[in-house]
Amino acid sequence: MSTIKELYEYRQMIFSLVKKDLRGRYKGSVLGFLWTFINPLFQLIVYTIVFSKILHNDIPKFYLYLFVALIPWIFFSSSITVGAASIVAQKDLVKKIYFPRMVIPISYVTSCFVNMLLCFIVIFAVIIVTGAGINFLAVLTLPVIMIVEYIFALGMAMIASAITVYFRDLEHILGIVSMAWMYLTPIVYDKSIVPPKYLPLYNLNPMTPIIDCYRTVLYEKQVPDLSTLLWAAGLGVFFLLFGAVVFNKLQKHFAEEL
Amino acid sequence: MAENENVIEVRDVTKSFKVYLDKGSQLKERLLFRKRSRYEERRVLRGISFEVKKGEAIGLIGHNGCGKSTTLKLLTRIMYPDSGTIKMRGRVSSLIELGAGFHPDMSGRENIYTNAAIFGLNKKEIDSRIQSIIEFSELADFIDNPVRTYSSGMYMRLAFSVAINVDADILLIDEILAVGDANFQSKCFNKLREIKAQGTTIVIVSHSLGQIEQICDRSIWIHEGLIKAEGPPKEIDLEYLDYMSRKMQDSSRGTDGNTGAESSDEEQSRRWGSGEARIKSIRSFSADGTEQNVFRTGEDIKLTVEYNVKTPVPDAVMGFGVFDMNGIQCYGTNTRIDKLPEFTLGESGTAELILRNVQLIAGEYNIDLAIEKGEGIPVDYFRSAYKIQILSSYGDAGIARIDHTWDLQR
Repeated sequence: MSTIKELYEYRQMIFSLVKKDLRGRYKGSVLGFLWTFINPLFQLIVYTIVFSKILHNDIPKFYLYLFVALIPWIFFSSSITVGAASIVAQKDLVKKIYFPRMVIPISYVTSCFVNMLLCFIVIFAVIIVTGAGINFLAVLTLPVIMIVEYIFALGMAMIASAITVYFRDLEHILGIVSMAWMYLTPIVYDKSIVPPKYLPLYNLNPMTPIIDCYRTVLYEKQVPDLSTLLWAAGLGVFFLLFGAVVFNKLQKHFAEEL
Repeated sequence: MAENENVIEVRDVTKSFKVYLDKGSQLKERLLFRKRSRYEERRVLRGISFEVKKGEAIGLIGHNGCGKSTTLKLLTRIMYPDSGTIKMRGRVSSLIELGAGFHPDMSGRENIYTNAAIFGLNKKEIDSRIQSIIEFSELADFIDNPVRTYSSGMYMRLAFSVAINVDADILLIDEILAVGDANFQSKCFNKLREIKAQGTTIVIVSHSLGQIEQICDRSIWIHEGLIKAEGPPKEIDLEYLDYMSRKMQDSSRGTDGNTGAESSDEEQSRRWGSGEARIKSIRSFSADGTEQNVFRTGEDIKLTVEYNVKTPVPDAVMGFGVFDMNGIQCYGTNTRIDKLPEFTLGESGTAELILRNVQLIAGEYNIDLAIEKGEGIPVDYFRSAYKIQILSSYGDAGIARIDHTWDLQR
């Protein structure tokens, strides 16, 4: 409780770190902020070609099917892979001055989140331009799904960033993990092709219900299943609390380890 | 918050550091060379307890590595104690690493916002303080220029202004009053006093006992991870100085070439003269006759100079000069200037020189000694023949201390 109160007091610091990160991310590159859009668009093109033209599937509007899952996935994977290094990257600050250390992963995940929100502008543009249509009632649940994903990503980023301080390899290991994780989440394929006997295990992955929900709202144009949403929210909250506990335990020796 | 309430409570705090002899933080190194990542555990704090009341200012003193800076870092919560508890009540601001988080490409104004945010201020609070911050820093004309264009003095001024305008309940300071020019320093000092009068609790770590005596109500002397003494700064500081001077004597005795043995090349380059007589050894004593070469400001120093004579020197003159570490002469005289009758150095002997009430400021001093003849022809001029150290509890500056009193009543 006191942690939350303190974090609230430091909201200005979170805000200014997010601003600094967003402004600084593409500084000096010619296309600048456009990279926020170009990068996922090219991934989309590559995956669309590979998974619908080379490996055939019968999912209609596969590009949209993929797009609404890929953008949330990129938010999650960058939160944990790059977020893992966030505390090490701010070591000058951590070693010199006190502030609630959670401010760092929170601001990093938040800036990734803002990036995702900007990409959603593109998603909606695509939906409108291609005439895929929108179910406004379903879209109203979108913020809830986003918050659930944010909570889960934050929990994971806290664990990853805290452990990376003690064990720098984790940053690179997470690169591999996130690739495997992507293929274990129904992003480039449909969940229906997963063999039923693996489903219980498969559903333990918190990203599965989350991606499911995004796709239900934006691709199938339906209000997501309440049980799926609750399951996702439950997992998200669990990992956030777990992440916070781990982080609090590990943060005590940050200044000495860095 | 009630008066007389403890704002800081430190109970039985211990802290050790692992000093890795060869540290590997990568998986490969951890697995392959597990034996190599051996470390030594160094106990920096061995159980420290103290408390500080609201509005009180305390100074932590002790020699390097005694644990005083670690104590301060524990207070800021950059680090956590291994055992024991630390309780702090209220907002903490620290003048430990000034300008942490400054971004060189951003303007002074933007940096004020980010830096103040790091201290936990929100936008509204910063807005209401920004004017006084800029004013205090005296950087109004440059405030919208990027910080990378600032001189280091300007940089520190900006950083100090932010940190001190946070309106903290507890202010932690590590050795920072050496910031900026003398003018700005005295301004900082006044600001600190003002803040203290407003009820802010202050903890200072400093080597300058003078600064501590000026601001603090209490000194805590930390020695080898334990509190050795605690009390009014004037008393504790003196106790500490006494201890340090004794310690320095022990370590300097016999180690440095302080007693002019006539051998080394290096020494030969520092002395010249016709050589009929040579200074053989120099020793220093305190007023009560103990041999020492560390003295306190205002003490008497007795120097005994032993000399050998090869051939008698008529019309001899003896002189000495005192130089600070920058080579500036603080004082110099000789027997002729002092209107002593001329004398003849007939045979080997010992001369005694008593310096009374030596009002030198803290620091090390080289002493030149010379034997001359006639109209200043050097017989044995020995530059930097002897070295003494002066300790002082004053924080004053200059070449020598001018005895003074203030009368501020009129």
